[in-house]
Amino acid sequence: MVRDTHIIYKEDALYPALLRGIPDAPARLYYKGTWAEELFTDCLAVVGSRHMTSYGRRVTEQLVGEVASRGVTIVSGFMYGIDVAAHKAALGAGGKTIAIMPCGIERIHPEYQEDIYWRILETGGLVLSEYEGDSMPAYWTYPKRNRIVAGLSKATLVVEAGLKSGSLITAELTRMFGRKLFAVPGPITSEVSKGTTKLLKEGATLVASSDDILEHYGKKRASGQASGRASGKNDLEQKILDALQQEPFEVDLLARTLGMAASTLGTTLSLLELQGIIKHEGGKYYVD
Amino acid sequence: MLIKVSSALHIGLETVGVDVEINMASRGLPGFEIVGLPSKAVDESKERVRTAIVNSQIEFPSRKITVNLAPADIPKEGSFYDLPIAVGILSSVLDFRIPKKALFFGELSLDGSLRHTKGALLLALYAKEAGYTHLFVPKDSVNEAAVIPEITVYPVAHLAEVVEHLAGRYALEPVVHKKTAPSFDGAAVAEFDMAEILGQEQAKRAMEIAAAGGHNILMVGSPGAGKTMLARALPGILPPLQTTESLEVTKIYSASGNIPAGGGLLATRPFRAPHHSTSLVGLIGGGSKPQPGEISLAHRGVLFLDEFNEFPRAVLEALRQPLEDGTVTIARSLRRVQYPAQFMLVASANPCPCGYLNHPKKPCICSPREVQKYQKRTSGPILDRIDLHVEVPAVEVDDLAQHFSVGKKGVGLAPETSQKIRERIQQARDIQQQRFSSDNIRVNAEMKNAHLKQYAKLASDVEQILRQAANRFQLSARSYFRMQKIARTIADLEGVQEIEVKHMAEALQYRPKINNEE
Repeated sequence: MVRDTHIIYKEDALYPALLRGIPDAPARLYYKGTWAEELFTDCLAVVGSRHMTSYGRRVTEQLVGEVASRGVTIVSGFMYGIDVAAHKAALGAGGKTIAIMPCGIERIHPEYQEDIYWRILETGGLVLSEYEGDSMPAYWTYPKRNRIVAGLSKATLVVEAGLKSGSLITAELTRMFGRKLFAVPGPITSEVSKGTTKLLKEGATLVASSDDILEHYGKKRASGQASGRASGKNDLEQKILDALQQEPFEVDLLARTLGMAASTLGTTLSLLELQGIIKHEGGKYYVD
Repeated sequence: MLIKVSSALHIGLETVGVDVEINMASRGLPGFEIVGLPSKAVDESKERVRTAIVNSQIEFPSRKITVNLAPADIPKEGSFYDLPIAVGILSSVLDFRIPKKALFFGELSLDGSLRHTKGALLLALYAKEAGYTHLFVPKDSVNEAAVIPEITVYPVAHLAEVVEHLAGRYALEPVVHKKTAPSFDGAAVAEFDMAEILGQEQAKRAMEIAAAGGHNILMVGSPGAGKTMLARALPGILPPLQTTESLEVTKIYSASGNIPAGGGLLATRPFRAPHHSTSLVGLIGGGSKPQPGEISLAHRGVLFLDEFNEFPRAVLEALRQPLEDGTVTIARSLRRVQYPAQFMLVASANPCPCGYLNHPKKPCICSPREVQKYQKRTSGPILDRIDLHVEVPAVEVDDLAQHFSVGKKGVGLAPETSQKIRERIQQARDIQQQRFSSDNIRVNAEMKNAHLKQYAKLASDVEQILRQAANRFQLSARSYFRMQKIARTIADLEGVQEIEVKHMAEALQYRPKINNEE
């Protein structure tokens, strides 16, 4: 069923209008999954570096999660890094997502993300490719694929990107197609934020919260988060939370900043983590 | 004329008595033969003995000499039969009697002096067991043998000395064992003091817990983060060897010839850091004459495996059984040898092939697939046997220097010295020793499930925390018990009888972290 491959031609009525509008729209698309017109009404392309930082992942999870839960379809390229984080975040938020493959439709690339592949299909999403069979991706198929990603979407969100990256190609195409370009600011010291910083300088819209994106789609804002958690904490816990709210910390740095022994701090961190208030990821603690 | 001299033979750490029988036939052509499965080294003893006797200004008897090493069916190795053979031959030439309750042991030099010979401690232990009272060993090896106070040990510098002594014309002075050898203050000399390591507060604390409870520990971090430095500082916080432990360790070192000339009982815990190109035999022990490997040389001490993931998988897998049992049995077709291997494993690894996963400055260039593959090189069963897992993040030198610079007060804690940490560890070890006095184990890490039930009982609120954590962090059943052990050690470090919530909560910091990257 969802595993079957179908073909749609440019002339078909169901072919997405937005995509048909781009200069070299693919003459035919192979796809797996259930084709539904409303899937293409509001699409957001989410692209970024393969070498995402934990910051990139968190931003993707948060923004994509909130946008996808409001009915925006997340389009991305199924590559590891930001791409797959976006697919996952959309799935996690119960939203729909479309993966555009750089390889033949019969190939799952990268293979080890197979479980996500099937989850996309099972949740009513789509896997698309303009190539038939199980051909391998090539250097030139990635940028070609990017035109579909950008072409399907009303807007493109770049989360983290290096100065030389496919994400910037997608961003360039987005501008060429006259679509909206969003970029997430990052630390200027980070290699994978240099591309996004450049985009922002060139006039991309800065994204500080999901509202900035949802506005473009005419969707309701994601109501302000109720943060009534800050009650019932003891002094130490509050101090830790205050520090973590500003910036994610490693244990050592936190111990130094707060001036306490790693043992005592560890105890409190474990307890906070058990309560689900903070989270340990990539060596650092975050307020969840 | 038949002469009998007593000596011994080592198989692994066991010693078997050997009778050196020497027959000086009055008929037949002059000659010199050794029988009784001598190895090449034993057979060459003929030339050493002959030359040493001649060089001691004694005429070598021109008779047919046959030496039999009994029992005749066990292969004999080593060079230490030189002395018993020479003494036996000379007893007939110079006409003195060989004392019945004496053992002779040592390798001869061509000039008649005696050389440092491995295994003197084992010999002394055997002598005590088998009822010998006197021991003649090379002077350089005498400190090893003198450890056993029940035996009179004579230091022999030259063949002539022992001969004159036995003939009653000269009195060798027996060595008196000094209860506290000069090196026996126990404080290990580490390359670094813990106070020299700035930052890494959590990793240092993990080291402290590991040292206190004898737990295995894995450090994961980027190159340059300080993993090796931490490990090298570890000997400085380890408590000194106790007398019985010291004897166990010295035995292994004595048997494998790792004690330098003049050395006696080892006082500091061994710290072994084999390179990752070490072969399986080198690590575990083996060979046709089974030798102790690094794991046995690290007995009662530390085995530091730097670049853990770079060790061949087969080598690491071979660690599994010794890690569990504390001994390793090496079986060969001819013999079976058991070596103790109760060591504390300290492993360090990079988080990914390029090493910069989660690095604050440098981007990681590995794909998730590569990271996964890299981390999977160490198998689950091995990781499951490691109690403490700790991340060693890269430190920003500037930040640290600024933080610990003079004049900046109030913020942060000054790093503790190894000395201070060691005192806490010693206290925790004392508690453990008392607790396990009737259990045949020494440290918390060795506790089995029955011990846990008895000594690491959890109050209901503590157990609830652990249950909760097991669900949330997906702990395996094995790590569930590991957490209990670590909590026990943390409570011991504080000197508290009952494991409290805070102890368990801290223990959870050192749980195996599943890679979040997927």
